[in-house]
Amino acid sequence: MTALLELEEVHAGYGPTSVLHGVSLSVPEGGVVSLLGANGAGKTTTLRAITGGVRWTGDIRFAGRSLRRMPTEEIVRRGIAHVPEGRGICTELTVDENLKLGSHLRRDGPEVRKDYDRVFEYFPVLKERRRLSASTLSGGEQQMLAVARALLMRPRLMLLDEPSLGLAPMVVRSIFEIIRTINQTSNVAVLLVEQNARIALEMSSSAYVLEVGRVAVHGAGSELQDNESVRRSYLGY
Amino acid sequence: MQEFLQLVLSGIATGGIYASLALALVLIYNAMGLVNFAQGEMAMLATFVGYALITRGMSFWIAFPVTLVLAFGGGIVIQRVVIKPVEKAPVLTLVIITLGLATLVNGLAGFIWGYLPRTFPSPFSSDSVDLGGVFVSYRDVGVIAVTGVVLLCVYLLLQHTTVGLTLRAAAHHPEASRLLGVHVSWMLALGWGLASAVGAVSGMMVAPVLFLEPNMMQTIIIYAFAAAVLGGIESPLGAVVGGLIVGVTINLAGAYLPGVGGDLQLAVGLAIIIVVLILKPNGLFGQAAVRRV
Repeated sequence: MTALLELEEVHAGYGPTSVLHGVSLSVPEGGVVSLLGANGAGKTTTLRAITGGVRWTGDIRFAGRSLRRMPTEEIVRRGIAHVPEGRGICTELTVDENLKLGSHLRRDGPEVRKDYDRVFEYFPVLKERRRLSASTLSGGEQQMLAVARALLMRPRLMLLDEPSLGLAPMVVRSIFEIIRTINQTSNVAVLLVEQNARIALEMSSSAYVLEVGRVAVHGAGSELQDNESVRRSYLGY
Repeated sequence: MQEFLQLVLSGIATGGIYASLALALVLIYNAMGLVNFAQGEMAMLATFVGYALITRGMSFWIAFPVTLVLAFGGGIVIQRVVIKPVEKAPVLTLVIITLGLATLVNGLAGFIWGYLPRTFPSPFSSDSVDLGGVFVSYRDVGVIAVTGVVLLCVYLLLQHTTVGLTLRAAAHHPEASRLLGVHVSWMLALGWGLASAVGAVSGMMVAPVLFLEPNMMQTIIIYAFAAAVLGGIESPLGAVVGGLIVGVTINLAGAYLPGVGGDLQLAVGLAIIIVVLILKPNGLFGQAAVRRV
């Protein structure tokens, strides 16, 4: 498998505080990769570096091209959908308008309509609430909206930042089911940041564990799941 | 009663003028959380440009859209050249910059055209039409129609087009919008262009009533502030409703409250600002500012 996304010795931080101290990882075309680790390990910063939300050195390549100095809008237009921490829902807008923001750059009308049908099939509740303000949605519904909107961008890679945060276990299950379906049916690669390591590892082909801005452990998803010392010391279950 | 209706109607006409300028203020406030103190002066400059076109023989109805287009372009240039380099500066810095911009534009207009008041041709006949005892001037009807159409166009643009959608998203959620591929910085420029064009409408409409001179908009901007604050500084609809309320209120107060006509009219505008800020700081259509911690 060729790497769709590659990070090579990435250093990044906010002002004088550096957070990442040389992170290297890769996401294969169509693969699911988890990024695990404690709070403050640099998971969110890694995702933000990829879409240009934070200054970095080293190299980040997407589909063979370096993303150095590229503004966020351009990176995203190349096919990376980033569902940020806190979901990035525009609460002043309706559900429908949020979805439209996902598809507004696409010019393939009939395909867009198909994607809308698919999204509403995955998340029927969004169809029911199309005309309502996004601020009226529950946390789980907002997460669904964020994933649906990312899907409508028809990305090659989705970056998901803690999709389970603050959600009931049942809702988490169904959202991960859908992420898995999306990955399998549309060949969208996923880089998943999660606190909930157990559920993340179940669906990942490989995983990286970050510890204070460095990759501490890297291996296949099942390998990490089975390795008790890794589980105990890094994943906490 | 007839007099009352006449006052209300001409109040709506001036209210439409305040509403246009108030909407311009709201558009920029939404985009950058900042009141653009140069909005009135930018409208005045655009009106002078329109005046230059008309005195060179262009008819009003051609000069009007041409002026709006030029004002739109001018707004974008101002955002790119003056505002963008300091985009991330603290709000107070930006406020001072817009104040400086106001002085600069005012001085520029004075330098080019001088400070002598000029008559600006009205596109509407000064006759009145008798509607069942209420005399309605064509001027008032014309101003209401023009501002009504412009405001409707802005509404349709913002609410029913993709550009409008990305404009609103960029204004409220710049970070999230960037992640969806919206060119946020250009959207801000577009917002400035739009505000500048809408403001120019108020200048072109008020110039035939007042005389055209560099300080022409300085009272109008106070009423526009009052309208924007009354409606809720973040609400485009509020700006329009606020503008109409302020226009009618001032007209009625001038006629019925002893001593308010003339010089004290401006005080009514300021009184509205103060009363609204005390009683209902978010205005009629504003939402209470909620921050999640």
